[in-house]
Amino acid sequence: MQYTEETVKTLSSCFLQTLAPTLEPRKQAENFLKGAADQPGYGITILRLLSDPSVDEEVRQAAAVNFKNHVKYRWVTPDPDFPPPLNPIQDPEKDQIKGLIVTLMLSTPPKIQSQLSEALSIMSQHDFPSKWQTLLPELVVSLQSATDYTIINGILQTSNSIFKRFRYQYKSNELFTDLKYCLDGFAAPLLEIFLKTGQVIAANSENLSVLKPALECQRLSCRIFYSLNFQELPEVFENHMAEWMGEFHKYLVYTNPLIQETNREKSSIIDELKAAICENINLYMEKNEEEFQGYLGQFATDVWSLLMSVSLSTSQDWLATTAIKFLTTVSKSVHHKLFSEPSTLQQISESIVIPNVMIRDEDEELFEMNYLEYIRRDVEGSDMDTRRRIACELVKGLSTHYHEQVTALFSVYLQNLIQEYAANPAQKWKEKDCALYLIVALAPRQASVGATGTDLVNIEQFFDTHIVLELQVQDVNSNALLKADALKFFTTFRSQIRKQLTLKLMPQLIGFLVAESNVVHSYAALCIEKLLALKDGKQLRYTASDLTPFLQPLLTNLFTALKLPESQENPYIMRCIMRVLSIADVGPFASQCLAELTGILVEVCKNPSNPSFNHYLFEAVAALVKKACQRDPEQVVVFENMLLPVFQNVLEQDVTEFAPYVFQIMAQLIESRRPPLPQNYIAFFPPLLTPILWQRQANVPGLVRLLQAYLQKAPQEINQGNQLPQVLGVFEKLIASKNTDYQGFFILNTVIENVSFEVLSPYMSQIWTILFSRLQYRSTGKFIKSLIIFASLFVVKHGPSKVIDTINSVQPNLFLSILDNVWSPNLSTITGEMEIKLCAVAASMLFTPLLEGSATPYCGKLLNSVITLLVKPEDERIDEEQDVPDLDEMVGYTAVYAQLHNSTKTEDDPLKDVKDPKEFLAKILGGVSLQQPGKLPSIVQGLESSNQTALAQLCSTFRISIV
Amino acid sequence: MEGASGAHHRDPFKSSVGRVAGQRRRQQAVTVGKERRESVVRAKRLRRADPSDHGDDGSMQLAVMGDEAAYKALEESTVNAVHNLKNLLKGSPAKRIGALQTLRHLLSCTAMPPVHVAIEAGVVTLLVDCLAFGSSEEQLFEAAWCLTNIASGDLQQTCAVEPALPLLILHLGEKSAVHVVEQCAWAIGNVAGDGEVLRDVLLKQGALHSLSRHLLSPVPSLSRTAAWALSNLIKGPSPKAAMELMKIEGMVDTLVSHVSKGEEDLVVEVAWVLVYVTSMSDFHVTLLLNAGLLPPLLGCLASSEQLSLLTPVLRTLGNIVAGDNSKTDVVLSVGQSLPGGIIGVLARCLESKHRTLQKEAAWAVSNIAAGSILQKHTVFNGGVVPPLLHLLATAVFDVRKESAYCLGNLCVAPKESREQGGIILEHLIALVDGGCLPGFIALVRSPDVEAARLGLQFLELVMRGLPNGRGPKIVEKEDGISALEELQFHENDELQTMSNTLIDRYFGEEYGLEEEYGPGMDVLRGSDDSSDYPPWRQGGGLTA
Repeated sequence: MQYTEETVKTLSSCFLQTLAPTLEPRKQAENFLKGAADQPGYGITILRLLSDPSVDEEVRQAAAVNFKNHVKYRWVTPDPDFPPPLNPIQDPEKDQIKGLIVTLMLSTPPKIQSQLSEALSIMSQHDFPSKWQTLLPELVVSLQSATDYTIINGILQTSNSIFKRFRYQYKSNELFTDLKYCLDGFAAPLLEIFLKTGQVIAANSENLSVLKPALECQRLSCRIFYSLNFQELPEVFENHMAEWMGEFHKYLVYTNPLIQETNREKSSIIDELKAAICENINLYMEKNEEEFQGYLGQFATDVWSLLMSVSLSTSQDWLATTAIKFLTTVSKSVHHKLFSEPSTLQQISESIVIPNVMIRDEDEELFEMNYLEYIRRDVEGSDMDTRRRIACELVKGLSTHYHEQVTALFSVYLQNLIQEYAANPAQKWKEKDCALYLIVALAPRQASVGATGTDLVNIEQFFDTHIVLELQVQDVNSNALLKADALKFFTTFRSQIRKQLTLKLMPQLIGFLVAESNVVHSYAALCIEKLLALKDGKQLRYTASDLTPFLQPLLTNLFTALKLPESQENPYIMRCIMRVLSIADVGPFASQCLAELTGILVEVCKNPSNPSFNHYLFEAVAALVKKACQRDPEQVVVFENMLLPVFQNVLEQDVTEFAPYVFQIMAQLIESRRPPLPQNYIAFFPPLLTPILWQRQANVPGLVRLLQAYLQKAPQEINQGNQLPQVLGVFEKLIASKNTDYQGFFILNTVIENVSFEVLSPYMSQIWTILFSRLQYRSTGKFIKSLIIFASLFVVKHGPSKVIDTINSVQPNLFLSILDNVWSPNLSTITGEMEIKLCAVAASMLFTPLLEGSATPYCGKLLNSVITLLVKPEDERIDEEQDVPDLDEMVGYTAVYAQLHNSTKTEDDPLKDVKDPKEFLAKILGGVSLQQPGKLPSIVQGLESSNQTALAQLCSTFRISIV
Repeated sequence: MEGASGAHHRDPFKSSVGRVAGQRRRQQAVTVGKERRESVVRAKRLRRADPSDHGDDGSMQLAVMGDEAAYKALEESTVNAVHNLKNLLKGSPAKRIGALQTLRHLLSCTAMPPVHVAIEAGVVTLLVDCLAFGSSEEQLFEAAWCLTNIASGDLQQTCAVEPALPLLILHLGEKSAVHVVEQCAWAIGNVAGDGEVLRDVLLKQGALHSLSRHLLSPVPSLSRTAAWALSNLIKGPSPKAAMELMKIEGMVDTLVSHVSKGEEDLVVEVAWVLVYVTSMSDFHVTLLLNAGLLPPLLGCLASSEQLSLLTPVLRTLGNIVAGDNSKTDVVLSVGQSLPGGIIGVLARCLESKHRTLQKEAAWAVSNIAAGSILQKHTVFNGGVVPPLLHLLATAVFDVRKESAYCLGNLCVAPKESREQGGIILEHLIALVDGGCLPGFIALVRSPDVEAARLGLQFLELVMRGLPNGRGPKIVEKEDGISALEELQFHENDELQTMSNTLIDRYFGEEYGLEEEYGPGMDVLRGSDDSSDYPPWRQGGGLTA
């Protein structure tokens, strides 16, 4: 693509149209640009366009965004194994762009500059430094010659994003080579600009227009300092530590009323600089205590007095938390003695901790206006950077070395806070809130069983006096915040509260489910849900019969809560419903619950927006199906009548999010039926085999499960409908990929188990061919295991000779080759009790036909593997290194498919009549000895010696003799 | 890196969660940090005025006064001295030497000699002229001294010396006077101390062979200087120079015999040569061991109190035990003659108050502890555990991290052993009971990604390994969950995945109520395998 007047015109009008309000021209323009982007030279053309001052500003901005995206998707290093979806930018054009971008970025207006800076940072991730040697020198030269802070800050911002990778990558020679390169080139100019700007700031304390960008420059320099110092303390920074630290000190104590922010929600530039400095000195404190030691005293004083003057306004949250973090690091370090004086501990607690834990107007606002966010911070751990949490971390830090002193101090504070509240509940409720917050936050973070206790108060006693009282108040809407605190306290320490007392409080908890405050009714649901999940050892603490007396009001209030404003899709409530339904004896309420849930389902289908709510909703339905239908199959019809129309709607309307759930619950319904399946199910079957459904990854596991259910309950109908080839088509598709091959085996195994051999035999040769070609070309350990299990199941269900014959029908004598090269060598890698039994029994069944034929030589290896499989513990049989799961794979799969735990299939043992596979093997060998004496002893002699011993033991245990 | 990469990449602290911290066994070839103080001092050496020189003119005292004006005056005198030398270059030898001496005084009378002005005034070409063949010993000596101090400056100043290098190397020849050779070696050592580019220049010009000849000099100060200069020359990161040095006939024996003689000042320098050789060539480690390096080396370790000696000796030892287990066995068996065995000696180093020694000793211990099961037992019972626990709880960051590697390696069974789940339970229990957990949890919270990973790996061991489900409980009690939570959104993907996996596995919500979904179902099954291989015919899903 050439940069001509013509192209400028075309592209300009296109960019303008991408901003058009109407869809059609916008789409058209976007498509045109997409096409144009495939042409070589597009990137450089756009770059020229956006830097052309004669072009309209709006067009240039749109072009800048487009350029950034162009770089994002097409600046890739070619990898022959993974061809990129879009044409990558070619190297000569890349070089051209690299040559231009720095200058352009520094000369364009801010909005364009920021896009170019991002593009540059993306480019640098691929090419810097080894393939872009000119970048750093170019940045440095510009930095050294620039006097305008817009340009300086542009350079620093870009450098900052380039260097960020040093903050999270592991040490390696490659990383350190790059880091060293950056340090050699950038550390000195960075210090230079930092010192120079320091003088500018000192000289311009009255001149806001100079001061602001200069302070921003310092902030950016500090962020770069952080990146360059992150891996370890570089020599050049150690040599200049005094200069850096001297400057840091200056800014930590810098005050200038002129630069205070007027907007109370926005942090001022000087506060941001101070926060960045706190992060830097915190890093030094964490990793370079010794070199930093000389500066510590000064900084501790600086940060301390900083915290004394920081306000409680949200605009200073970031500064306050980073400053407190620094003190926390000091308190835990070798230099903790700085805080050892009782008066120091006291002062920190009273002047820093308590004020920052006290609830603020902003928190109250959040409590009322955005309950989900409040809950997320208050109980779900996303408060990592709130003042409350960080202040409590400081207490924990101080406790590392001064546990007793700190505990004693805080016990007293708690008493005082509670007493203040008691004396004047109306005015001093914040004090009680503070006390409850402290107790919960200072207890070790809890696992699912709940916190085990705290040194600060006696939990039982405290609960009896201060929590029960709160919970027993008649009006569930009074003092909502304290109610929420009390419920949180209850939830946190639930395992410590006696069962009797908990049950006594159950009506209160149920009452809070319909409190007006969203936080309060959510916490009530959370509390009940967690209580019901509580276990003592392996037993649930609260059983169905404990729940029965409360069941009606509980269910009523739960469903009522879902009608309260803003709680229509409250995930805490739905989760609680799920929990109750999976524990309680819902018998009489089942149809009422079903009606409620179906109604909600119909609603959310219209616009699925809250994944976790929806997930629990389907879990609740699954729990209900399980409870009701599996106990009383007659109920299935009732459920089907309610649910199937909705499900049909989901599939017809293509509500993709819900399809995987629907398949699972349908499978569950079919599984709880006795054959034959009614006609409406049969009619449903063919559409399930349409390829489009299987193309969506998330559908596959649910569909496989559903297909299995059909195969179990209606194998004849499927055969009569001539659908078996299609089912096997699904199998063939799944088996082809490493990620889904085991799903293919699920189907194949179900087919083998439920379809008669007569029906199956025409297909067997083809099935084996598919399996063996996969084995030949793309085998994995996992695949081989699945293959052995399938073959074993085949042996057990239809007899060994059928297996041998069908395999040999692919190619004469193929069976023995498979046996010797695949089956025997890998048999001992099988895991899982049921699988081991199946495979051992099947292998044992092979001996008779093998010995009858002339395949005796193959028996030794097989027998050896069977014995290993049966007698050796798993970790001795299996090589740890085999099939190590790929971490990337682990990261990948989680989001794909949400399994419903309440709808899990129970596994069925295909060999119920075989109790002990060892005995089975022994009996077989005994039989062979009788029928074909003389054949076994020579085989036994060839076994590994440990297996000979094991076999001898088996023989004596089961009283057979091998002759 | 010939022979080195494989051997030094010991497989330490394997844990089933995440990948192995495998690259660690070999110390980073590329460094950005200062080498620890002791070695920094030795990388470059300024030659200050000789004691024998007193009685010089009064101008020398100027610099001692230290104020700015005095320094200005010093700079001025230096420029004058350079000009003076230029004028006298064609003059009488005696006057020339006098001018050189004045210049040399000026360049060595303060810790920060005015090298920059001398260079600007064109001193290097003049000094090159003074190094011409046939010049008097005295003149050569003075010129080399000047160059030594010029090369002790920053990189740019050192580079300025480059034109003089061929002559400096030539004067290392056998016919030169000892004090000239030594001074030239000194200058070369300073140049070699300044990075790989200059080292390559020196190597191409043959400095290595010329220097190595003087290792055997009967003059102690010369053999010392030669060893020091060589150690700078073979630093790497490329192992080429070290290889070349070791190819010189008799080198192995020379090095071993120097260590055997036990002359501390010389051993210090030789030990630094050994540090680089042992870090780069596994093959030469074998040769050195066969030549009997260990008994005198370990002897130094046990008997010396000198930090400057112990540092390189410990690091050499650490490199040796980073090789295969058989070398470690040799170290352990030779060490038996020492009081408390070699492990006892290392324990004492760990108890030292010097951070460098603590760190070097911990590094050596962690390598031994990454070995065979027997070696792990020996380490565990050899007295290092108490100091390691102490260091983990109280030391500065890098020592804590190094100690954590030791303790972690002690608990992980080598692949070939038959320990349940790859854990040496006896060690793990003892360490946890010894109170190591808070130290590891502190590492989880560290901003250092390796340290955080190490902490996570240890928590995984504890939670999986301790019997009766004690692991998760004790981790929870030490507030480990909140430490894990802090990593859940970490920018490093691996840390994020590891912490999420651990939380899900050991502290996850008990979602379904059936026993089979409870946490810890696969606690004893070596965890990863079970999620990888779904049982046959299982209902639709993956094992959660």
